[in-house]
Parts: sequence; structure tokens; C-alpha cells
Amino acid sequence: MILKIENGTFSYNRQKRVVLDSVNLEAGPGDVLAILGPNGAGKTTLLRAMMGLLKWQDGRSCIDGKDIRNIPYRELWRVMSYVPQAKNTVAAYTAEEMILLGRSSRMGIFSHPDETDVKMAHQIMERLHISFLREKKCSQISGGELQMVLIARALAAEPNILILDEPESNLDFKNQLLVLDTMSELAAKGMTCIFNTHYPAHALQRANRAFMLKPGGEYIFGDTHSVVTEENIHSAFGVHAVIGNIETPGNILKDVVPLRVAKETSKGECLACGGADDEKVIAVLAIITPSSDMTSRINEILHESSGYIIGRMGMPYPDAGVFIINVTIDGPQSAVRKLTDTLNILPDVSVKATYAKDFNNNTEV
Amino acid sequence: MKLTLQEEKTIRPGGLKKSETAVLILLPIVTALLAMAIGRFGVSPVDIILSLLDKIGIGEGINRQTETVLWTIRFPRILLALAVGAGLSVAGCAFQSLFSNPLATPDTLGVASGASFGAALGILGGLNLIGIQGTALFFGIVAVALTWISGYGKGNGMNTIVLAGIMIGSLFSALVSLVKFAADTESQLPAITYWLMGSMSGAGYPSLALGVPPIAIGILILYLLRWRMNLLPLSDDEARTSGINIRRLRAVTIVCATAMTASCVSMCGQVGWVGLLIPHICRMKFGNNHLALVPASISVGAAFMVLVDTLARSATAAEIPVSILTAIIGAPFFIVLMRRSGGWQL
Repeated sequence: MILKIENGTFSYNRQKRVVLDSVNLEAGPGDVLAILGPNGAGKTTLLRAMMGLLKWQDGRSCIDGKDIRNIPYRELWRVMSYVPQAKNTVAAYTAEEMILLGRSSRMGIFSHPDETDVKMAHQIMERLHISFLREKKCSQISGGELQMVLIARALAAEPNILILDEPESNLDFKNQLLVLDTMSELAAKGMTCIFNTHYPAHALQRANRAFMLKPGGEYIFGDTHSVVTEENIHSAFGVHAVIGNIETPGNILKDVVPLRVAKETSKGECLACGGADDEKVIAVLAIITPSSDMTSRINEILHESSGYIIGRMGMPYPDAGVFIINVTIDGPQSAVRKLTDTLNILPDVSVKATYAKDFNNNTEV
Repeated sequence: MKLTLQEEKTIRPGGLKKSETAVLILLPIVTALLAMAIGRFGVSPVDIILSLLDKIGIGEGINRQTETVLWTIRFPRILLALAVGAGLSVAGCAFQSLFSNPLATPDTLGVASGASFGAALGILGGLNLIGIQGTALFFGIVAVALTWISGYGKGNGMNTIVLAGIMIGSLFSALVSLVKFAADTESQLPAITYWLMGSMSGAGYPSLALGVPPIAIGILILYLLRWRMNLLPLSDDEARTSGINIRRLRAVTIVCATAMTASCVSMCGQVGWVGLLIPHICRMKFGNNHLALVPASISVGAAFMVLVDTLARSATAAEIPVSILTAIIGAPFFIVLMRRSGGWQL
């Protein structure tokens, strides 16, 4: 089954501001699609419109080429299933009762879950390793457990497409992994998983496709590595971030580390790409590193920017076990930023740039 | 032994165990039979059984006076109590789930206030009992219709409807006061006041014939929909993505609960508390799964109402208004149960 959005356009109350502007996206069996975007950009709106909970003002969502508005409720929610955010649920049913509610679309209006339904619920619970929750009330279990129960409920409908709204928000590391692993396993078996997330790193690590929303309705859609880039994160989130590799004995993981909030610029344009960033500055970088091993790495990085460096001083301070480096730079703002950004993700290294005041005025004088 | 227990749970998810079903079926029947025997005119249980056998054509029957007390005075009254108790409990249960609000009662949408106004108007107009019942039923439904019109709209949640219900309810309460103010203080005002306190004493077969069918139909529909009702407390998106038409389910629930409440109030005035108390007691004992909750509410509500009405008519020489007793008996019982079970969550 292929879920597709064709030219989906949406705005609340017909205001001038368009939340989603002719969105096109597509996900098929085995795809994991991550939807990224800053708060208020319309991630949840996109999910809700995708599922038909909100009406597209223009365009449509379709499954295998058929507009979902023309698919009867019961049939639609047999192939597609929704996992809400765990915090929104308050109903005090037991986990088993909650999961059985997922069978609604496959049961007659006056019928009750029978033995087959119950067995199926139990199988799903076993598969997700939550059988121990069966008799527990959903209002009394942890957020991570509730999220797994909600995924189980969605699976009870035997869907082909699973739509998850921020499934790993508000969860600790272990539960995040449990939820993400579950999603990866399901996709490996042919399920289409579409999820909203606040973590670009999760998109890089788990999703083969990504959809990034920018404030104002623009978006980027494509393969994750081409969507989740430092430039796109900057323009969508207004944050300077570094994407790096973390090497483990087994593999290399991508990770995204947000460094700092970018300066307000008119249209969220990329600072690193020019504009005000070309302004020349004089800056002093103070670097302190506890381990002398790191100094060689720092030297390598500094060497890449050697064109702008006008002065440099290194001083070991063995009494305190630290190494202090001062670097004076005369160059474009972007070069200084890039240097600090890169140095900042080195473990235990402290970096700070001090800028000369009114540098431009002084040169004119 | 342990295996069979496990087996039973597997087959009946969240539903009632056989033993529980048996108790819930027997509870109102036994209570009703006891209530037949109790009263200022004592009737022995043997006589009741003989009379029952006589009704189905076995045996000789009993003397005429006992027969009249049993079947003309007590039986319709007990029937009324059974219907009102079951109806109000199920209506309260449905509204609590529908609005995900533990404080919701059958009166949440203003039904009871509307019906009270109708009855007061009927008394003011000097109508007979059936006439009063008719106006009460009519205005009860008018009140809910007004609530629905004012609260329902695109993008409005269920809370808006609850707010509208509270407004319409207070509007009709004010109208009741207006009618009382206009009423003749010698005869009409006491009649209105007494009627508002609730009493089963007006029970008769013609009144039951008008009022019981809506209650019975409402209970039947909600009983059949009981598993679906589990979807009511879920959030809007969750309910809509479950693959059922949640708007239709909500509408059916509201129509049923409203019809039942309006019929109850039209027959016996405002009987407070039952609709709040009984569903909560059942939730503490049976959980929130409507598969068990709806039948439990029907049974416990019916039995409770018969019990309270029997006390109302036989505890003292003068009859005590039934809504006073529901609160006096219900509140302490409720508090004890709440403290023992550690409360519950909807």
C-alpha cells in the first residue's frame, strides 16, 4: 500500500498564513518516514490532515491512488492505524481492554471481542514484550509503557500503515529505544511507518525518508541524508547544529547536536551561506582542554582555518591538568562560527569566542 | 483450578464472570420480591409466591385484599422504581463516559431541569397526572434540544456542550422558580415542591405505559452498544481513528440517555444522586469496561432504587421524599466505598 499526499494545502480558519503549502509526499511498504519541523510549523497538522481528521483545502491524501475521503471509515482504519501521543490518554482501561479497542474497525456494531480477538491481543502484547501489563490500568502505568500499549492497540487493527504522533517524546532513553526498535522491526516486515519527531537524530538513525517543515509552509522531502543536513536544520529550526558520526565497535551512528540558537534573520536564510555572515570580525578564541590527546585534534581543526588565524598561543598547565590555547582570528563571522561549532562537540573541550567591539567603526577611523 | 480461572478470563475480556452475572440478575429480583412483602400492610413471602403462581395459572391464589395491595399498589410502584433506578444509572454512566467527566449526571444536559419545568407548568395548568407526565417529557426533550443547538458547532468540543447544558439547566431552573412564584400558595405550590422532591407514589399502570417504554428501549440500545461505549471516553482523534462513526455513536448515546432521563423525571420527579452514585459504585467494583459496567449499573441501580423507595414508604408513617433518602443512604455508603477502594479514575 502506498500512502500519498498530492498538493495538500491547509490553513486554519482560512487565514492568510498557510500552514501547509501544496505538500507532496509518498511512503510505501517498508518505508520509515520521519516528519521534522519546529514547534508550531504544522507537524501534527500534517499528520491529522494526512489521515483525514482535518480537511485539505486543496489537494488530497490517497492510498494506492484512491482518495481517502472516498474510502469508508471502517475500511480506511483497517489499513491505516494511528498512535496518539501517550500523554493525551486518560481513560482508565486495562492494557488488554485498551488493545482490544483497536479491533473496533474489524467488528460489527453490536458485537464484542471474541476469543480470536483476545488471542490476537495477547500475541501482540507478547511481540512487544508488554504481556506483564495486561491487567494493569492505563492510567497507572508509565509513559513508556502506555506508548507501547497504544502501539499495540494500533497493531490490533492489522494495518499496513502506521502513523505515530511523536512516539518517543517524553520518554527516557530506554523507552525511546524500545519504541524506535519496534518501529524499525515493523518496517522491516513491510509496514509503512510515518512518525513525527522532535529529534533529527532519530530521523537520521531510523528513517529512510524525511520530511522537514519550515515555518511558513515550505518543506523539503526526500531521502533522510539529503533532508537532515546542517543547512536545512538551520533554516527550519533556526539553530546551528552539527551532524557528526559516532563510532561504536559495531557501526557508525549519525547524531545531531544543536549548538546554539541562530540569530534572527529575515527569512530564516542560512547564515553560513553569506549575507551578514561575511562581515569581517576580530575574535579571540579561548580553548581549554583537559587532555593533551585532544590538542593534536584541535591543532588539526585550527590548521584548516589557518588562513584567518593571525596569532596563536598554547600553554600547558600541568598543575591543574589542563591545556590552554588562545587563537586570534581576523576573518568572516562564518569562519569563526564554524570553528567554534566544530571545536564545541569535542569531548571535554571548552571554547568561547570574544569579539572586538565596533571593529568596523575603528577601521574607518 | 488455576487453569480454568485463566481460561475464563481469556474468553471473557473485561466482561462479567458467570458468578457475577448470576448475582447481578438475582439482585433486583430478590430486592423486588422483598419489597413486595414489606410495608404497612404486611404480606408473607408465602402469599407472594402463591399469588405469583396464581398469575401463571397454578394454585388457588390468595384473598382479594392482599391481592389488591400486591398487584395494584405495590407492584406498579416497584416496577417504576426498577425502571427509574436502572434508567438513571445507565444514563449517568453514559454521560460520564461521553463527557469523560466523573461529575456528569443524567441532568448534565439540562434534561431534568427542563422536565421539572414541564411538570411545574402542568401542575400550574391543573393537568392530571398523565398530562403532567406528558408536559414534563416534552420540556425535558426541548431542554436537551436547546442545549444541543447552542453547544454543538464545528470545532466545538464536548466541553462546550456540557457548558451549554449547565446554562440551559439553570435557565429552566429559573423558569421553575418563576412558575412557583406564580403558583397558588395554598394548593399548587406544595404540589410543585413535593413533586420536585421526587416520589414514586404516583405509580399506576397508565403512567407506566407512557413512561417505561422509552426507558426500556434506551437501556436495551445502550446495553447492546455496551462494548462500543468503551470508545466514548477516548480523545476525539483516537475515537475517530478507531474506524467507527463516533459522531453517530455519541448522538445515539445522547438520545438514549436523554429519553430515559426525561421519562424518569416525568414519572417520579427529580430523583437526584442515583445517576451519579450507582455508576461510580459500579466503576469501583467492575472497572471502566462498559461490557461489565452497563449490566452492573442496570442491576445495581434498579435494586438500589427499589430499596430506597421501600424505605421511603415504610420507614415512617408519612412518606419521605425519595431524593432525600437517596442522598442520606447513598452519600455515606459512597464515601465508605471510595475510601476502601482508593477511588477510581475515569
